[in-house]
This record gives sequence, structure tokens and C-alpha cells, in this order.
Amino acid sequence: MYRTLLGVLASLAVALAVAGLTFTASVEQSADFRFINGTEPRSLDPGLLTGQPEGRVARAIFEGLARLEARTLAPVPGAAASWEISPDGRTYTFHLRPDATWSDGRPVTAHDFAWSWRRLQDPALGAEYAYIVHMIRHARAFNLYGGHAEALAGPIAGALDALRREHSGGLEVSDWQAFVREHGLNELLKGTRNATLQASLLRQQGRIEADELAAVSAALPGEAAHRRALFEEAARRYGIDAGVFARDDWTLVVELEAPTPYFLELCTFYSTLPVPRHVVEVHPDDWFLPDTIVSNGPFVLADWRVGDRIRLERSESYWGRDQVGLASIDVLPVENATTSLNLYLTGAVDWLPGNYPSDLVEPLARRPDFYSGPGMIVYYYRLNTRRPPLDDPRGRLALNLAIDRELIVREVTRLGQVPAAHIVPPGMPGYESPESPVRTDLAEARRLLAEAGYPGGRGMRELGILYNTQEGHKKIAEVIADQLRRNLGLDVRAYNQEWQSYLASGQAGEYDVMRAGWIGDYLDPNTFLDMWISNGGNNQTGWSHARFDRLIQAAADVEGFSTGLADLDAGDGRVRSRLEGLQRAGDAAERRRAGAALRLELLRQAEAILVQELPILPIYFYVVSGLVNPQVEGFYSELSLPDGSRIPNLQDLHPLRAIRMARGEEAR
Amino acid sequence: MSGIEIASLVAGLLGVGATAWLSGRAARIVGALCLAALVFGLTRALLGLAGAGGLAAGLCALAVWRFPGLVLRRVAFAVPSLVLLIYATTLLMYKAPGNPFAGERAATPAVEQALRAHYGVPESATEFFAIYLRRLVMEGSLGPSIKVQGRTVEELLLPALPVSMALGLLALTLACALGIGLGVLAGLRPNSAVDHGSMALALIGISLPNFVIGAVLLIVFALGLGWLPVAGWGGYPHVVLPAVTLALPYAAYIARLARSGTLEVMQEDFIRTARAKGLSEPAVVLRHALKGALLPVVSFLGPAAAGILTGSFVVEVLFGVPGMGQWFVKGAINRDYSVVLGTAIVYFTLVTAFNLFVDLAYAWLDPRVRDAEAR
Repeated sequence: MYRTLLGVLASLAVALAVAGLTFTASVEQSADFRFINGTEPRSLDPGLLTGQPEGRVARAIFEGLARLEARTLAPVPGAAASWEISPDGRTYTFHLRPDATWSDGRPVTAHDFAWSWRRLQDPALGAEYAYIVHMIRHARAFNLYGGHAEALAGPIAGALDALRREHSGGLEVSDWQAFVREHGLNELLKGTRNATLQASLLRQQGRIEADELAAVSAALPGEAAHRRALFEEAARRYGIDAGVFARDDWTLVVELEAPTPYFLELCTFYSTLPVPRHVVEVHPDDWFLPDTIVSNGPFVLADWRVGDRIRLERSESYWGRDQVGLASIDVLPVENATTSLNLYLTGAVDWLPGNYPSDLVEPLARRPDFYSGPGMIVYYYRLNTRRPPLDDPRGRLALNLAIDRELIVREVTRLGQVPAAHIVPPGMPGYESPESPVRTDLAEARRLLAEAGYPGGRGMRELGILYNTQEGHKKIAEVIADQLRRNLGLDVRAYNQEWQSYLASGQAGEYDVMRAGWIGDYLDPNTFLDMWISNGGNNQTGWSHARFDRLIQAAADVEGFSTGLADLDAGDGRVRSRLEGLQRAGDAAERRRAGAALRLELLRQAEAILVQELPILPIYFYVVSGLVNPQVEGFYSELSLPDGSRIPNLQDLHPLRAIRMARGEEAR
Repeated sequence: MSGIEIASLVAGLLGVGATAWLSGRAARIVGALCLAALVFGLTRALLGLAGAGGLAAGLCALAVWRFPGLVLRRVAFAVPSLVLLIYATTLLMYKAPGNPFAGERAATPAVEQALRAHYGVPESATEFFAIYLRRLVMEGSLGPSIKVQGRTVEELLLPALPVSMALGLLALTLACALGIGLGVLAGLRPNSAVDHGSMALALIGISLPNFVIGAVLLIVFALGLGWLPVAGWGGYPHVVLPAVTLALPYAAYIARLARSGTLEVMQEDFIRTARAKGLSEPAVVLRHALKGALLPVVSFLGPAAAGILTGSFVVEVLFGVPGMGQWFVKGAINRDYSVVLGTAIVYFTLVTAFNLFVDLAYAWLDPRVRDAEAR
């Protein structure tokens, strides 16, 4: 008996000792500010980041040319002390801070930025977000054209030859479009100047005869060689003496293909943060781990224990360290909503962005420390336009009119979400979405469905609504399935797949209707619209619309496109009048303003097409919400502009640099 | 699955099964070779090619010459099984929809190719298997994680394993103390209030899933009374609630086993003898009954230990514990192939090791087993 007792005590002692060893000294002291980050960052290498949780940490430890001012979220000088923009809006000259240093004491120079930005586009890095600064001269060519040239000269040419052998008498345009889709030709040939290729990509009707295929086939080697040449020039020059380059140690020049009104905001985005070349070259795969990392931001990465916490500490080498309010921050990767809320309610964390149990929305929303506001996120359903009845616009319109969005936001999501009838969330500066009232019209919906060939839902197969496994998505999918069943007599089933399977189904086009959401990458309507170009990586609906594609392309380069712009007018003269404004413009500044207005109008027209054609059903615009300790200062859930107006914090961005705690450190 | 893959799976299964029919001498040689391969893989990175090779060769010779037959036979079974496990897991992972490089934005083919080459994850399962096995043996590495960039799988699992093991050991100890105590008390007074009470508790413990138990404990002790932290890892107060939550279902099982064991033992003749010679009741129970009563508990503890020591996903998520359990689930959800294989290997190793310990203990206790193995 005593031996048994001894055994129990011994194993207890061993267990406690092992447990004790796994605690670390660093976490015994609580940080000044602690927040729930929702998930473990995959990486802290700015070039490879893809999500908001990673961005929060990366923006705290690195500083871009510009940074976001917390109260307005406007770009203000960061690693660059000042900048000039050329009158045509195409050349940015940044003057770097001579006192900015890396955390190992080396100065942050223009060469660091040039090298980092070249690295971002380097095809060998495989950066998902490289596209975000493709408006820089040579960036796209360096990033993509090498691969394009190889694909066009190799597999695509081969596949086209096979297609020509198989259809020696020509083929239907639908077969041709299927070929284009299968090989991603639209994405691959985006921006081609070759008229034959342009025309063939835009073909939507008739037959493609053998000689047209032959012409396409003959044009490919030339296009491949052209891209190869562009790639080679870009590889030789991008980041060195063109596109982005250091004029001297403290002057960085950035040349854009087209004026981009939101470019300074991109200079605060996490993909454009600088990386320390001298460390990355030595430890290419793991330089961003605590042992090796060197950074230039207001905080340094002191510790990173996967699944436990990231500890940030104020950087002593940061030029603006006097403005940094927190000595230390704990970033918790807690994913579970209940655990997150428990931590907040017991005061173990100071900020809980969003991730609380959705069933508790109502009691939580009554708390004084709860904040919420419109977000730059749209919740929508993709419709697979390759499958009947969704291949018929009338079928899609019928679904659209049979859904009661008001009911969904009132009874299901319950946080004042805004029902959506278009895709660009409200609040984009200078942008007004096309008029499209949110409406439910059952009579009209039934009529359209009957016109499409399914009166009362008769003759229709079962439709599936796919969502990724999550309670909130499930509720909405069930409600919508129920509405479609009752309102249209359709046989609709909601089903779920876990995340990776769901992604795979989307990319393979194996679904009828599929839940999705999109968070804007930057404060501009383009981030919600350019993804719908034919066969775009995120389109996945099979929808393709030549005029839409041209509008998006034209908006990306208003000046370069201006010759053919007039025929993009929808007949209401809106494009035409802005085009005339651009042509009339006297000085460069006026020209830039007119160009920007024209650009937004083109995007508006593109969104109007989307709303008419409905390859997607917008459901609602998200509300960003969370809980924040009242003692936290420098946290703005609503922004105040210099002119006194207040606007929502659409992206729920809260620069950690500006945050401070009201209580003194002694009080802890 | 292609024909070749199925054929190699079947061949592997047959091969592993065949190790059971190896003659004593053959088992010694195969076992020693397997052991040498294992040691080579573990020390290759540390000692270099020559050092690890020498060590493995030396150990191989020593094993053939001196090691117990039981151990070598086990190793001769376990190492091929491990290889088979890796192969089968690889095939299953590749059959699952999606891949580790799929994101919301479809990666361009060039980007995906670059990533696949960088992480050693080609499109063919068999090629992946070859790369993985080569890395495992030649570098002793479980490979880079794909979703947690910049870290190898061993860098993820090594800090997590002690957390789970400490928590598991604590829970196991607690479960034993609680379960045996209640079970024996109940068994001594069948149909009494104590019996009914503790069996009702055990029933609750078995039937309530631990996310419910954990939530109740959280509400009472952390949110209500504020005695303990709600989540996290960094001090002994953090350990209490997860350990108790983890322990309760096991305690309930143990209590039921201990009760039936006690009931049975108390009917035995030797208990009557002990009572007849005038021993006090506590002495009868503690000195004579307990050993017999606990036999079913001991046989339950073996398999339970491997499970509880590798962590529980539910408890870890609920209490924010940075343990092993999360990787079993996250690896699969993310299709992080090397993490899935890493957790499978760790679990396999633990189960095999526990079984080996049990067998060795049997052999030590029972000469008949030892003789049978030596033949």
C-alpha cells in the first residue's frame, strides 16, 4: 500500500517537474497589452504573408516606407521621412530617414527597399501577394512573364496543336472557351498587345474556324518570345535601375505603369515591408524566427512559442521609440471563440477582435467595451455558371430575387450587417456603387425561373449549397436553402466540407452554389472587382464577360487605354463625359484628378455588369466588431478625418504603435 | 490509387506480417539490422556519415550477440511497420481532396511548382514517400512544416510533447488516485449509498464529453469563483483545470474496473482466511484484496497511457494548452503532410514502446513467457 502511494506521489512529482520545465521565464510576466490574434501566423516573412493575423504582427515589427496613422488610417511617413509624386502620378521619390535603423544597428537604406521589393516579385520566392504591386514598372514581367513564356512555348502550344488536329474543321466557341479556361489563357495572356490573341480570347459566339486556330497557333511563339524578352529585361533591371531602385543610399525611386491613387496605402501594406537582406541571405528559410530576425519596426520579436504566444517588445533602436506606448505585447493565437471570450472576460487579454461565440452577440453588444462598425468585407455566394440552371442569367436572377437578405441579417447574423445587392462595400473613398436596391420579389423570381425553363421548379435537379464547416455559415446556408425551396419550389440541399476540400471543390468548379467571403486588400473598389475577370484565380464561377474584362483592364491603366475608351460607354454618357474631362484637363494635377474620376467610373460600370449578370449573389456586408479593454488608448473603432468627419474603420486596423494603456505600469 | 501503389501496400503488409514467422536466428539478425537503421537515422545529423555508420554497425553487432530475443523480435516487427505506416499514411493524404498549397487564391502553376520543390512535396505520392524516407534516415528529420513556415516538424512537436506528457501524466495519476479510491470503497460496500453515489459519478464521468466537463469546471472555478485562470500555459494554476478535465473520464473507467475487481476479490477464499486469522478489515483490504482488485485496472492503463500522454485536442483547445493534440488535428485540416506523418510516427513510437515495456514486464514476471520468446 505504501509503495502504491509512493508510486502515485512519484509520478505526481515527475509530472509537475516536467510541466514546470515547459513554462518559460518570459511569460511569467504579463505583457502591457495582450490580444487574441485568432490563429497562428504561418510566417512573419513580409513577402509571404497572406492574412490579417500575420499582418498585425508584421506591421508591428517592420515599418514600410509609409505607415498608417492610427486616428485616420492615412499613410504618413514611416521609414521614408518624405516623398514627392511626379505631376503625372507615375513616379514616386521617397527620401528615407537617415536615423532609421535595423534592430542590429545597421541603417535602413533605399537599397534595402529596392532589394526587398525585387525579392517580392522574384518568381523563385512564389509570393502569393506579389500581384498587389504589379503596377510598378517591370514588376509583373519579372514576376510572371518568365513562367508565361515557358508555358506558351511548351504545354500550351502542344495542347493547341492537339486541339487543331482534333478539330481540323473548326470548333464551337463553347469548346474554344472551355479550352481557354482549362489552360488559364485569359490570365496568361492578360495585357497582350497581339490583336489576333486579343480577338480570340474575347470570342463569345459563332464558330472558330481552322484558319483562326492556325493564326492563334502562329501568334503564340511570337507572344512567348515577346514575354521572354520582357522578362529578361525586367530580371536585368527591376529593383536595380528601373521600376524600383535606389538613386542613392537615402533616395528610392518607384516608377509606376499607371497612376495608382492608392499606391501610398500599398506602401503600408505588409507585402511591401522591407526585409533585412543581410540576414535573409544567410538564413533564407527561417530568418524571421526569434533567434535570427532583424527588423526595423516599433517592436521586436522577443519570443515565438507556436500554439502559445508571440511576445513583442518595444524596439530600442526604432527611430520613433518615444512615440511607442507599449513596452511589451502578447499575441495569443487562440482559435476557439469560447476560450477567447473567457480570456477577455477574466481580464487576461485586452483586445478580442471579432472571434467570440456568435450566439452571444446580443448580450455582448450591450456591453460598453463592445465596438462594431461596417467592414470592408462582403459575404456572398458563388454561382457555378457552367451548370444549368445557373448558366442562364434568368436562373441566377431568380435565385437573387428569391432570397430575403433582410431576414438573414435580422434573425441570423444579428449585428447590424448591411444586406448587400452589390459587391463593393460602402465607404470606398470617392466611389459610389451602381444603384441596386436590395429586394425580394417572389412573383418576378418565379416568372424568371419559368422563362429559364423550370416553371415552379419543375424539371430541375437538386441544387447543392456548399459551405465550409462552420456554425455561422451553416445557419445562413440552411436559411437560404429553405427560402429557395419555399419560394421557388427548388430542391435545394445545404452541405459542408472542411476547409481544404472546400477550396479544392471551388477551384475544380465542383459545386452549384458556394459560400464565400472577400476581405478587401486595400481601400479601393478595384480589390473587389478585378477578381471577376474571366478565369481569374478567384472567379471560379466560370463566368466570363468580355466588356467587364475590358473595363477592368481600362481602369488599371486609364491613360494607356484611352483610345478605345469611348466605346466602353454604356450609353448614359458617364464614361464619355469623364473621358472628355480627361482630354480637356490642362495641367498635370487636373489630369490626374480627371483620370481618377474616369477610373472610378469604369469600375462602377464593371460593378453594374456584375450586378446585372450575377455570377455571384452578394448576401451582406460584414460588420467588424470586438471587445476592447476601456483602459486601452489609441484604439479607434471609428476614424476621425482632419476635416472633422468621422468614418468607419473599415479594415479593423489598429496600429499597435499608437496603443497605450491608461493605467501606469506600477499599477500592474 | 494506382495498381502499383496497391501492390506495394499489399506486399508491405505481407512483409510486416511475415516477421512473426521469422525463426529465432533470423529475427535476431533482422531486428539488429532494423535497430541499426533506426540508430543511424537518429544520429546521422549529429555524428555525420562515418560516426553514425560506425555507431550503427557496432550496435548491430552488439545486438546480434547480446540483446534479448524479445526486444529484437519487436524491433524487427516495429521498424518495417513504421515504414508501412508512413507509406499508407502518405497514400491516404494524397487521396484526400485539396493539397497543402491550395489557398483561397489559386496559386499560379509556376508558384505551386516552386513551393512543391522547396518543401519536397511532389505530385506523386510514391515520390513523396521516397523523399520523406530518405530525409528521415539520412538526416533524421521529420521534414519542414508547410503551414508553419521556417520550422521543421520536430521543432513543432518537441516543445509540445513534454507539455502533453506532463499534463497526461498528471491526469493519469489523478485518475488513478480518484478512480481506485472510489472504486474500492464502492466495491467493499456494494449497494450502499457510497456505492450508488460513486457509480453515479462514474456514469456521469463516462457519459459526459470532456468539453462539457471542462466548460462546467471553467464556469465554476475560473469565471465564477475566479480561483484559476481560464486558459493558457505558464504556471501551475494553468495546469489544474485541464488536468482535472482530462482525468475525470479516465477516473470514471478506473472506478468501475476497481469496483468490479474488488467485488470479485472479496469473495475469494484467501480473504476469508485473512479475516479468519483475525486481521482488521483495513489490513485485509490493503494488504490482501487491493493487489488482486487492481489487476483489471493495470491492464486498462497500458493502452490508456499512450492516448492520454499524446494529448487531447479538445482539452487543449478549450484551455489554450500548447500541446501535441492540436497537431493531430491541425496537420490533417491543413493537409500539412509532414506534420500528419510526424504525429503518426510519434504516436506509433509511443504505442510500440508501451507495448514493449508491458511485454518486458511480463517476461520479467513470468519465466514461461521468457522461455517461449527465446526459442
